[in-house]
Amino acid sequence: MNALRLLRAASLPSLCGALLSSAGACDRLPGRPESAQVAQEGSPEWTAHVFNTSCRGCHAQGSEGAAVPLMDNAYWRAATDEQVTQAVLHGQGVLMPAFGPTVGGPFTPSQASALTRGMRALWGGGAVRSPEMSGTVVAGNATNGKAIFDVACAACHGANGSSGSVTDPMYLRLVSDQGLWTAVVAGRRALGSPAWNEPMPGRPNGLTTTEVADVVAYLSSERPRSMSEMQP
Amino acid sequence: MKAPRMFGVAIDWVESRTGAVAFIAPLLTHHVPRNAKWWYVFGSATLMFFTIQIVTGVCLATLYAPSAAEAWESLRYIDQQVPFGWMLRALHGWSSNAMVVMMAIHMLQVFLHASYKFPRELNWVTGVFLLFTVLALAFTGQVMRWDQDAYWGLGIGASIADRVPLIGNQVRGLLLGGPIIGGETLSRFFALHVFVLPGAAIGLVGLHLALIMKNGISEMPKPGATVEPATYRAEYEQRMEKDGVPFYPDAAQRDMVFCGACLVLLVVLAAVYGPFGPGGQPDPTLIDTNPRPDYPFLWIFGAVSLLPPASETAVMLVAPLVGVLVLVAVPFLANAGERAPSRRPGMVLVAALAVMAVAALTWEGKTSPWSPVMDGWSALPTPSHFLTGRTPLEVQGANVFQFAQCRNCHSLNGLGGERGPALDAIATRMTADQLMRQIQQGDGNMPAFGRNLDSAQMTALVSFLTTLRPEFEAPAVIPGAQLPLPVRQMPGEVATPVAAGTQ
Repeated sequence: MNALRLLRAASLPSLCGALLSSAGACDRLPGRPESAQVAQEGSPEWTAHVFNTSCRGCHAQGSEGAAVPLMDNAYWRAATDEQVTQAVLHGQGVLMPAFGPTVGGPFTPSQASALTRGMRALWGGGAVRSPEMSGTVVAGNATNGKAIFDVACAACHGANGSSGSVTDPMYLRLVSDQGLWTAVVAGRRALGSPAWNEPMPGRPNGLTTTEVADVVAYLSSERPRSMSEMQP
Repeated sequence: MKAPRMFGVAIDWVESRTGAVAFIAPLLTHHVPRNAKWWYVFGSATLMFFTIQIVTGVCLATLYAPSAAEAWESLRYIDQQVPFGWMLRALHGWSSNAMVVMMAIHMLQVFLHASYKFPRELNWVTGVFLLFTVLALAFTGQVMRWDQDAYWGLGIGASIADRVPLIGNQVRGLLLGGPIIGGETLSRFFALHVFVLPGAAIGLVGLHLALIMKNGISEMPKPGATVEPATYRAEYEQRMEKDGVPFYPDAAQRDMVFCGACLVLLVVLAAVYGPFGPGGQPDPTLIDTNPRPDYPFLWIFGAVSLLPPASETAVMLVAPLVGVLVLVAVPFLANAGERAPSRRPGMVLVAALAVMAVAALTWEGKTSPWSPVMDGWSALPTPSHFLTGRTPLEVQGANVFQFAQCRNCHSLNGLGGERGPALDAIATRMTADQLMRQIQQGDGNMPAFGRNLDSAQMTALVSFLTTLRPEFEAPAVIPGAQLPLPVRQMPGEVATPVAAGTQ
């Protein structure tokens, strides 16, 4: 019975204490739901949120993520805002899906361009830094391209190259000309591939702008047009 | 006139016209067993939580908009705009869970002490009806939130109703107020939650209490002290007269202390963890959702998700009926004899198994990763160590892996869905051919992707998957195959052809 008496004596003061202290702090109680604040479109928080949920699965940074890393500035040197916005809205090549409203995607055109500007502000270091290499694919000469490829690229990327073939017909069917262009121009340093103007095994000074166009034209010409071309 | 005298006159005035004191006084002073002590506080605590539910529920009903278009918004309004509105919702939600828990403990105690035996069979039966009424209140209350949990909870309820033979469609129509979940559904559940079920619960509580007064509180069971229907009542009354204590204040003070402690705990839970939901908007086109029922139903959710598909209809429709019948039948199967748990080991085992089963299934329901991670493909990048040293085709395969949303169900490096197996070391278990077949045709829960991926995508994907194995761990081979299989050597590994069947 002593325990009961003690409890009885202690219960009222402790209850009052608990109520008083919680009433004093009612606005800061941990259970109070956060007011749902939506980050303003185009703000860095908004961009990061959208990017992290919708883009990062493929486009991350360094050697993370299978597609071109958008959190590194190499890509932003090689692409214009218009290009990126169009890719977001309408997709790109074979594997980049469209996120625009015409396919029931989540982004309106204004959101897509806000996202592009936001990403460039976060990771692109401002403006396009190699204007001569931005924009869409420039037509090149495939024959010249093969000669350049054999000298500059084949040691690593040829049919028996040390880091795997880029003339593999299966690979070429998955990568559009635009994708090849981006790959040559931006490279992927974290995975061992230099950008267009960085030293390569056969080319200590990298490629010239014309040579980039020629190499892309050559790779494009190697792409099988139909299944029958792929039969051995 | 002095104040106490005035009070007495007022009481007399009321008493002479209503007989209220004559009615209440025996309720307060009726004798209860001296040895009941702390065992009997759980019923009172359940009643206290029910009272809290009524008070907070009435307050919420003044703020809530029971229309499909406004319900969700009105909860946001209560949470954000109404002073202490969130606290009201938190108290109502936590008190609901606490009431179910307390009722379960109360029921378990009554079962273990066999208090349901003569003459208290109907106390138990009204208690069982109260149990189902309270569970119905909890379910309809979950619907009031009108969020994704509510929507899909209703969907599951409706599809169970749909399985009833012959009249399934009609039962579903009755439940939902139409063929689909809509405005009528919410109105219907609102009427149930605020009028029908609370009314039923209040009536049943009254009946339950009246039966307690009629039959008295049972004594603590003593081994050897058996219940004999012929003599029990006379013996009980004799004992109460000799050895009983008045309910107020002797037993009531324990109830008050326990209820007070429960109340403090409730306020702390509400203040720290806040209200339940509302989760996302109840929009069936939003598939990026992971709906789960509230706590009282998680064990059912867990059980149903584990059922073999062929048994679903039979179990879902028959098991609840059997459950109700068994619970109602308990006091009629054994209403006399020993009450002490030590003399009823079988019943103790039954209770222990029931508690363990519900606990395990609740855990299963809470943690089972039954929903894919819907944004896994677009939010979780392929980890570096699965990309370095890969050929361009294999890197494209990693792209296909994201593109085809494999990541939503399969994790890499611990991130991703858990519907399917983690694929970090899939190449040690499956050869390229086996992977190709699995992806094209699907198997078990895995859908077939053959029509969704062209040959280049498939080739790239399989070539990527064949690189998914820890360094220096042997790739999968087909036991007994005659030819050496082409094996993808990882950078740094020595090229030694793996002879088939040598493993």
